[in-house]
Amino acid sequence: MSSVEYTHEVSVIEGRPTLRSLDDLISKPLETRPDKKFYIALSITLSMLGLFVIGLIVTFYYGIGTWGNQIPVAWGFGIVNFVFWVGIGHAGTLISAILFLLRQKWRTGIARFAEGMTIFAVMTAGIFPLIHTGRPWLAGYLFPYPNQHSIWVNFTSPLLWDVFAVSTYFTVSLIFWYVGLIPDFATLREKTSNKIKKLVYSIFSLGWRFSNRHWQHYEMVYLILAGFATPLVLSVHTIVSFDFAVSILPGWHTTIFPPYFVAGAVFSGFAMVQNVLIFVRKIFNYEHIITIDTLERMNKIILLTGSMVGYAYSMEFFIAWYSGVQPEQFTFINRAFGPYAWAYWIMVSCNVLAPQLFWFKKIRRTIPVMFVIAVFVNIGMWFERFVIVVTSLSRDYLPSSWQYFTPSLVDFMILIGSFGFFFTWILLFTKALPVVSIAEVKAVVDGSQPSHKEH
Amino acid sequence: MDKKDFWKSLKDYNGSDDLRKIKENEFMEGVTDDFELGKLTKLSRRKFLALASVTAAIGATACTDYRDKGEIVPYNKKPEHLLIGKANYYASSCTGCSNACGLLIKTREGRPIKVDGNPEHPITRGKICAKGQASIYNLYDPERLQYPIIKGRRSDWNRVDSEIIESLKKATEENKEIALFAGSVKSPSALRVIENFKNKYPTAKIYSYQLFNESARQKAWEITYGTNDYPAILWEKADVILSIEGDFLGNEGNYIENTRKFSQGRNIVNSGNLNRLYVAESRMSVTGMMADYRLRLSPTKQFKFLMGLVNNLYKKGSKIKLPSYFESYLNKFDLAEFKNNEKVKLLIDDLHYNRGKSIIYAGSNLPIEIHLAVNLLNEILDNTGLYDSKYSFVNLLPLSEMNDIRDLCDKMKAGNVGVVIHLDTNPVFHLPSDYDYVEALKAVPTVITISSTKSETADLSDYLLPESTQFESWGDYYARKGVYGLQQPVIAPIFDTRQKEAILLRWSEGINDKFDEGRYRDFIAETCREQIYNKIKPASDFKAFWYAALHDGFIEFNENVDKPVFNTRALDELTKVKILEGDYTLIITESYFLGDGRYANNGWLQELPHPVTKVTWDNYLSISPATAKKMNLDMNDMAEVSYNGISLKLPIFVQPGMSDDTLHIEAGYGRKSVGVVGEGVGFNPLVFLTKNSNNSPFVLIGVDIKKAEGKYTLSSTQEHHSLDDTFVKDFHRIRKIIQEGTLPQYRKNHHFLHEDKDELFSITDEHKYDGVKWAMAIDLNKCTGCNVCVVSCSVENNVPVVGKDQVAKGREMQWIRIDRYYSGTPDEPIVSNQPMLCQHCDNAPCENVCPVNATNHSPDGLNQMVYNRCVGTRYCSNNCPYKVRRFNFYNYRDHFADAYYENELTFLVNNPEVTVRSRGVMEKCTFCIQRIMEARSEAIARGEEFKGAGIQTACQQACPSQAIVFGNVNDTDSEIAKLRKHDLAYHVLEVLNVKPNISYLAKIRNIHTEEIQ
Repeated sequence: MSSVEYTHEVSVIEGRPTLRSLDDLISKPLETRPDKKFYIALSITLSMLGLFVIGLIVTFYYGIGTWGNQIPVAWGFGIVNFVFWVGIGHAGTLISAILFLLRQKWRTGIARFAEGMTIFAVMTAGIFPLIHTGRPWLAGYLFPYPNQHSIWVNFTSPLLWDVFAVSTYFTVSLIFWYVGLIPDFATLREKTSNKIKKLVYSIFSLGWRFSNRHWQHYEMVYLILAGFATPLVLSVHTIVSFDFAVSILPGWHTTIFPPYFVAGAVFSGFAMVQNVLIFVRKIFNYEHIITIDTLERMNKIILLTGSMVGYAYSMEFFIAWYSGVQPEQFTFINRAFGPYAWAYWIMVSCNVLAPQLFWFKKIRRTIPVMFVIAVFVNIGMWFERFVIVVTSLSRDYLPSSWQYFTPSLVDFMILIGSFGFFFTWILLFTKALPVVSIAEVKAVVDGSQPSHKEH
Repeated sequence: MDKKDFWKSLKDYNGSDDLRKIKENEFMEGVTDDFELGKLTKLSRRKFLALASVTAAIGATACTDYRDKGEIVPYNKKPEHLLIGKANYYASSCTGCSNACGLLIKTREGRPIKVDGNPEHPITRGKICAKGQASIYNLYDPERLQYPIIKGRRSDWNRVDSEIIESLKKATEENKEIALFAGSVKSPSALRVIENFKNKYPTAKIYSYQLFNESARQKAWEITYGTNDYPAILWEKADVILSIEGDFLGNEGNYIENTRKFSQGRNIVNSGNLNRLYVAESRMSVTGMMADYRLRLSPTKQFKFLMGLVNNLYKKGSKIKLPSYFESYLNKFDLAEFKNNEKVKLLIDDLHYNRGKSIIYAGSNLPIEIHLAVNLLNEILDNTGLYDSKYSFVNLLPLSEMNDIRDLCDKMKAGNVGVVIHLDTNPVFHLPSDYDYVEALKAVPTVITISSTKSETADLSDYLLPESTQFESWGDYYARKGVYGLQQPVIAPIFDTRQKEAILLRWSEGINDKFDEGRYRDFIAETCREQIYNKIKPASDFKAFWYAALHDGFIEFNENVDKPVFNTRALDELTKVKILEGDYTLIITESYFLGDGRYANNGWLQELPHPVTKVTWDNYLSISPATAKKMNLDMNDMAEVSYNGISLKLPIFVQPGMSDDTLHIEAGYGRKSVGVVGEGVGFNPLVFLTKNSNNSPFVLIGVDIKKAEGKYTLSSTQEHHSLDDTFVKDFHRIRKIIQEGTLPQYRKNHHFLHEDKDELFSITDEHKYDGVKWAMAIDLNKCTGCNVCVVSCSVENNVPVVGKDQVAKGREMQWIRIDRYYSGTPDEPIVSNQPMLCQHCDNAPCENVCPVNATNHSPDGLNQMVYNRCVGTRYCSNNCPYKVRRFNFYNYRDHFADAYYENELTFLVNNPEVTVRSRGVMEKCTFCIQRIMEARSEAIARGEEFKGAGIQTACQQACPSQAIVFGNVNDTDSEIAKLRKHDLAYHVLEVLNVKPNISYLAKIRNIHTEEIQ
């Protein structure tokens, strides 16, 4: 502890690597053939993806009846998974946009990867609203298009807001990601000798020549996009939470939902990024770029957001009691002590209790432990959505319609399959694009920035 | 040429030829000359456009989704009395049971699509039971027998007729008996057919057998009063009713009639009067659910209890004087066991102070002595004025004694029977197994079964003859005094079927002519002329009389009825009674919806939730919570019941309110051969029936029960919470789903329900409904939870059958359901029933969450569902606080039993005015919008203002207790407008301010205290 130097900022990249070595290191996965481990990993994710495809074929052929959904629990795993994956997609843009605006240099090592995860997670999430409908072939009705029946969509429905929010978020995230990639594409273009690769990189680098002027424009665009993406980070999950908050169902109809959902989303998103990066930095030897300090900072955010989520849980209980509304009170008591108590306590122990271990610096910096905690966080966050969706629906106003929800085999196939879909994209990403921003990392290496000390 | 009004020039005015020629062409000369495709040499603009449009048209038609809808053949000659798109109604009679209720059958384009009661019919007045409502499915059952079968092979009627006549002749020559095994016969013509048959074949003998019957009541009546025909009861005139194990509102006697009359005595909304219903029973029945005071009484104690009442009330005064030996016998029954029972004290007082205005009734399954005691008690209390002798039950052909049937079996085994003809009966399933009927059948050379479906008996028959359904048959019925019912076919036999009477008639009249459906009709007309027309001697000629009768569906006439005179022979019988004791008593009752098993292949009835337990697609062993605890049994555990060396394993259902150590099973389930729908559903308790029964055959004293291995899943439409679970106890009261009061409370303050109500306000402006606005009121005082509305709705609105597994998952599709709530203790529960359907809220929460506007509001206040627009997000269901929306999780017609109901035949049952919903679509109650629209278009056609009077929803039309009222609230004269403002009207979950258009009229319990205990 005493060795900490407070007089100047500690570099987020360790060991002062040369710019050339960074180029080589980061582009290495793109220039080498995939090894055996990659294929093993890919075959696992593709198998899971296969389950996904089979699950979807069965669902489309026979109908939603192949899932566990019923009346009263008309939303089951489909919406749980949707909210879960949208949540996962929150870390990327938060890291790249909000932390960018806040001048958090440690974000550079992880931003690209996190953004990629955002894209893939939102893609995964986007599948669910479509497939959970009874007649997915008519999903076009959800878009306001002119038609001769003069039927318009219903602008008071939160599901419609979802359509806009998620598609906007996806579009902006994708553009943001791509803009960040342009200088790297140029770098790769310069490095490669393969003609096809060169052509592809040339097209995608949009004629980037590393000129001063390019950099000026680039920085401005990036800043504007960051400013544009920042409110989206907050709005997407706010609107997703409206799916519940705008309804009149006890346990859903809650004003705390927007901030609570955003905090939960950042919480799970960070946990997922942390999980994956632990592998990436090890496999690609990026330990000095994605440093233990970076991981520790992420763990601090997990601790913060986890505590916010915990606060929200207790506040929900308090408000339910304070409201004096019997169905509301019962919903929360039922969550904790009713037939789904097991799910509730999984949620609480994973989301509230497990992250509290991050108060200890040693745990924050120990990779296996933090890994396990983050896995718990994601399990917990999945269960949070399960608890919200399923327990509230299964016992609502009229006791006569109460029913216990049991998921079906297809539900699990699609849940597992969605991970297959997500990780297949992640794996392909690691071999197709630089998983760390070459340009940005170069900018934060010690000595890359002009400093008065060295004058 | 005519002078025109307008002319352009003098030439025009004078009608010049040139000008006319010019005017013949639409366009001026030269403008259209080129437009002959053939003449055009190169690609002109017009040719291009012409070719392009043809291409587009071809492309468009080739790409449209043309589905082969099968052959559609229009009428090339318009049938008489048939207007396409307009329904025709025919009066007929139901043959589902021995009540022969009057029907009104709706047909569209020649096919029957809906059955309701005949509103003119004096007994049932427009109402029929759930079985009658659903019987339309039997007509379109894909597994109906479609042609005659000889030893499993398809045959034809000519061969069948000639072969059978040979066998009949042979049996006659060999002097072997011909046994006609019929159900209960209520048709005078059928009786004449049987007489003719007996004349032709002298060795023929008729056996009449009905599994669940009223013979104990009938015999007791005969003993007490010396007449055959026991009376109906004027329930509407009773102030106090005591029912001993009697389910007169559920499935005994003509329960539809009973329910109507009973509910007239429950008309608190209009008259402020209520009868008081005491029920002493061991199981929990529909009648028990309606009780103001309910006494749990095991079957072994019922006789003692009843005699105790007789003793007690006789001492307080009597209309008749009993002989002294009987008085001393009575002293044995002192009600000591009930000394501290408040309810019994109240009961005695009530019966005492309401002499002449009360009625005692006992269940059909109870032994004769109970019915004798009931007759005696009614006599003592001077209640005989409540007997309705005008419409007494007619005992046209007495049911065979069990001894006769036992003798038949012996004769069969001895080879003395040549032919057995089962006339739509199923003795293999129904007769006690120790009759050994299966073995006996093997010794009979010719076994004939006439039936519309396969059955256990049909499987063992040489000849299986397909019977026409009640929609394809002629008939006449004399089930009640003064009422002669007629049945007419509303569709020609769909398959090569004949009705059983016509078959027998042909066998006795010979087969020289071609078979004629009309022969039996003429035969009935003869009966009608002889037995009715000649008796009542109307002014019109017979032909006019006959057609008028067919049109009405019945003839009502006056019959002389003797005043019953009490006969002391009944007292002697009562002194001979031996009281049996045993650890456990098993009672077997008829299933509410499958009858004696006859309706087992009807999916709508199988899926109808049990009125009390809400279980579908199964029967089970009901036991009381205390017995369950004692035996360490829980819901869905398997138990083994044994009696007389026979045992049966079946699942447990813990039923609150049952008497301890009583076991209850409903019969009609466990059919082994009936069709895909009914086979293997449930368990058959009829195995316990025995020829040695020394009590009622359905009350078995001294059975054993033990826990068995394994678990079972009962599919019910309501989750079962243990009643004493404080966690969820009395939620229906706390949440104001059920609001109730007591008569003293109501009398003290009519407005008590709304005393401490919060004022609700909306932050937005309320929408104004200026024209018609629909609403419904449901009187919870009258609703018995009988479920007839549910079937009626399903038939009217093409609601599919989903199957047991789907019900278990909570995916039943019925648009209306009866919610049943318990309060009180598990031993002494208080039951509240509530029909629950779409509430058509003014501020409907489902509407604003649908992303595609598929559910929205009509200007007349209906919450509408646009199936074509629905994407199936199911958000509307989540946001519905009443959870009355139903989702097509599958294409259920395809999904249920390998598309059992998806075939050309069953499609005919669909109401053409209601869309058949595809999978992935949400649906719900529409307030029968098709009926509203029909009435509206009629009003428009007549040029009248549409006020909405006279429209009935399907549930309302079917409700036997007339608990449902529907109409236009903006019409201040309408009943609904008054009911909505009634002091007892409330909305479920009022506090949500969704403003439902269904109001419930709070149940008032006729008890002595102000608080509901």
